[in-house]
Amino acid sequence: MKRIAVIAVLVAAFVPLAAAVAQLPTFGEASNPTNTYLVPRYLQKGPEEAGAANVVTDVILNYRGYDTNGEVVVIFTALIAALATLLVRPKQMAATPPGDDAPRSPIVSFVVKAIAPFIAVFTVYLVLHGHLSPGGGFQGGTIFGALIILLSLTLGHKYGLSLLPERSRPWLQAAAVLAFIAVGLLGWALCGAYLAYPSYSQLEWVREGWLIALEIGIGVGGAAIFATVFWTMEAEP
Amino acid sequence: MIRALWANIDYVASVVLFLIGLYAVIAKNNLIKKFMGINIMETAVFALIISVGTVRHGSPPIMGAGARAPFINPLPQALILTGIVVAVSTTALALSLIIRIYRQCGTIEADELRRLE
Amino acid sequence: MDGTTLLPAVVVVPLLGAVLTPIVGRTRARMAGLWALAVACLTAAVGTALVALVALRGPFSYEMGAWAPPWGIELRMDEFGASIAVIGFLEVLTMLFAIKYVEKLLLPVRIPYFYTLMLLNAAGMIGFAVSGDLFNMFVFLEILSLSGYALVAIAGERIAEMAAFKYLALGAVSSLFVLLSVGLLYAVTGTLNIADVAKRLTGTGYALPVAVALAGLVLGFSVKAALFPLHAWLPDAHTIAPSPVSAVLSGLVVKVGVLGTLRVLQIYYAARPQQLPVLNGMLAWLGAISIVMGAFFAIFQEDIKMMLAYSTISNIGYIFMGIGLGSTYGLIGATVHIFNHALIKVTLFLAAGAIIYRTGCRNLTDLRGVGRVMPWTSAVMTVGALSIVGIPPTAGFLCKWYIALGAVQADKLMFAVAVLFGALFILIYYIRMVNAFYFREPTRPEVATATEAPLSMVGPLVVLAAGCLLMGVLGRIPLSFVEPAVLRMLGQ
Repeated sequence: MKRIAVIAVLVAAFVPLAAAVAQLPTFGEASNPTNTYLVPRYLQKGPEEAGAANVVTDVILNYRGYDTNGEVVVIFTALIAALATLLVRPKQMAATPPGDDAPRSPIVSFVVKAIAPFIAVFTVYLVLHGHLSPGGGFQGGTIFGALIILLSLTLGHKYGLSLLPERSRPWLQAAAVLAFIAVGLLGWALCGAYLAYPSYSQLEWVREGWLIALEIGIGVGGAAIFATVFWTMEAEP
Repeated sequence: MIRALWANIDYVASVVLFLIGLYAVIAKNNLIKKFMGINIMETAVFALIISVGTVRHGSPPIMGAGARAPFINPLPQALILTGIVVAVSTTALALSLIIRIYRQCGTIEADELRRLE
Repeated sequence: MDGTTLLPAVVVVPLLGAVLTPIVGRTRARMAGLWALAVACLTAAVGTALVALVALRGPFSYEMGAWAPPWGIELRMDEFGASIAVIGFLEVLTMLFAIKYVEKLLLPVRIPYFYTLMLLNAAGMIGFAVSGDLFNMFVFLEILSLSGYALVAIAGERIAEMAAFKYLALGAVSSLFVLLSVGLLYAVTGTLNIADVAKRLTGTGYALPVAVALAGLVLGFSVKAALFPLHAWLPDAHTIAPSPVSAVLSGLVVKVGVLGTLRVLQIYYAARPQQLPVLNGMLAWLGAISIVMGAFFAIFQEDIKMMLAYSTISNIGYIFMGIGLGSTYGLIGATVHIFNHALIKVTLFLAAGAIIYRTGCRNLTDLRGVGRVMPWTSAVMTVGALSIVGIPPTAGFLCKWYIALGAVQADKLMFAVAVLFGALFILIYYIRMVNAFYFREPTRPEVATATEAPLSMVGPLVVLAAGCLLMGVLGRIPLSFVEPAVLRMLGQ
């Protein structure tokens, strides 16, 4: 009975949705409104007026930088939400979680230790080169966060924690939002609007510098947040 | 009608995926499976928005030596990068809640939880 | 300096305050509370200045990153955006109230995170209210929703996590409907700016995708607003959350759904008025059912917070009915009821919180006689109750009167009857409450020995009650303030 009701709901939702998407402009045509209205300016002028050869980065960090500002706040919210729902006592995260002292395979530890420097270098490349090629702060930060999680799984919880010292951890977690607000306020004070970049063509290096500052902030903040969420979930109540 | 559906089959696929996710949210009993349904719905919406900006035979919108038109629309890609981060954040919170529910009630099956309530 | 350059500050101040809160509160939790209170005060001051600017000069925009609107993101401040001042003002009082409350209720390690989430929630609501871009609205919707889910779970009382998960599941699905619809609108117009979408929708085809987008947006936002039959998450979440959180969720967060609906209707009234009558009819009916159902269920609740939660559903019904009537009076009444109900519901939930703080009881039968031991709090509760019933000269009267006039204006007398019935039901359950508080002997020793709540709680409560009375006396000011926005929206 319940199954029939569910299927009825799904069919009732499918018919209008499918009919609506069928009437959208045909898939993949270069003449669609999405591809002819705003985008030509992004593609033609983006690298020059926004500062990055990768136009996706131009849109993320410059044209629609305020969205990305909101987005880094969303991951910060997720971190605080995880801490607020899971922590029950102080120093909970510093305690060794159950099963952490179980013997680990020496092969796994060796392989992880061997590839860790390469992963780290790769993330640095992704973050710093994101405005010129595919990649960027989020991608790099996520991989670095995964590296920290990998290390604390294979080399022990204590080792993982020592990568993000307790004193600086709250600052690192807030790095992305703080980077955005800093660049935003600089733009507000110097260039006339929140998150505005200097528009003179001689100041291209400033634009590029601000983009890189944002990418680094996002990368550091993302990595710190993902690692902390992992430790919080792992911690014994 | 059929022809229009066929021409936009990529969008229709997203709609189907969206409803598969919705099915999991409504019909599954396990909280993690329910939430996986939401993740599937998220993926479906992202796929729809990304495919709205596709250009046939387009190349990535990265300028510089060797770049040649037509380029794929960069705007939906930027939006969806934001969307993915939002989805990850929602997942992190949902899993935290599920962990707490499991620690307190010893189960994450919706019907057993309802009985406990 | 031009005052409009302050517009981003109203979002950035609470954001910056929020990220610094865990750092400030690392050694002493109380510091986090004082810090959050200071940030909320600053936000409220900036918000009030901006609303004054709108009153003086009319709506204005702000170009984020100095990019002209369709390419960049536009912040838009109009009369509906006046909610930012209400949000700021109510957040200040709630923070002040919360300082003592959370010290008793929450685990010490969670207190700084509580304030962080409150500030993030406020920043999300303000960012949503002033955004002029569809995708940007979605981003801020997620900030406020995520912090809202976490705030429901933060006390860990009973199975708060279960209520929070239910809220999260429904909220996430509704957000996805919103995003899907934004995607459809983007596909047919190629733009995300609200004003630009309206312009580019005028005169183009694509009737069906645009109609489905309207349905999806309104569906998504009415889940957030808890319109019947999409209200299932609300009673548990608002009852189990700590009282300051219930106040914010019930008074402000559900209003975001209404505000989103109004923004969507602004687009459609300008571009596709022919698609609206069906939707408006449905909204009016669902609103009327919400009024009656919410009020009816509220009568049978023992738990005072549960009763207030159902009364929120009933009042959301009033707002949606006013919107659905589609007449000038109805819309003006609905818009002002957004602000007034926020004020009244925050008053009631905080007063309930003060009573629970002192007595530890929340059932009406246990709370008999509390009016004698906590005179101030009970008086505030009574003022709130009178306001929400809509007895003149309190805040609730004029906007309900306008909604009823709107029903007459739209020639739908049925709905005016619904307004009256809702008020009658509400009157019954608040009479029950006042009777229990004042005219019955205490049955519980906790109640008999309780004392008046501390000053940091009674202070905000008295200010709120005064606000309820003042808004009743000065009720014409907000009505004439939002009138131009409503007329502009209806194209008159």
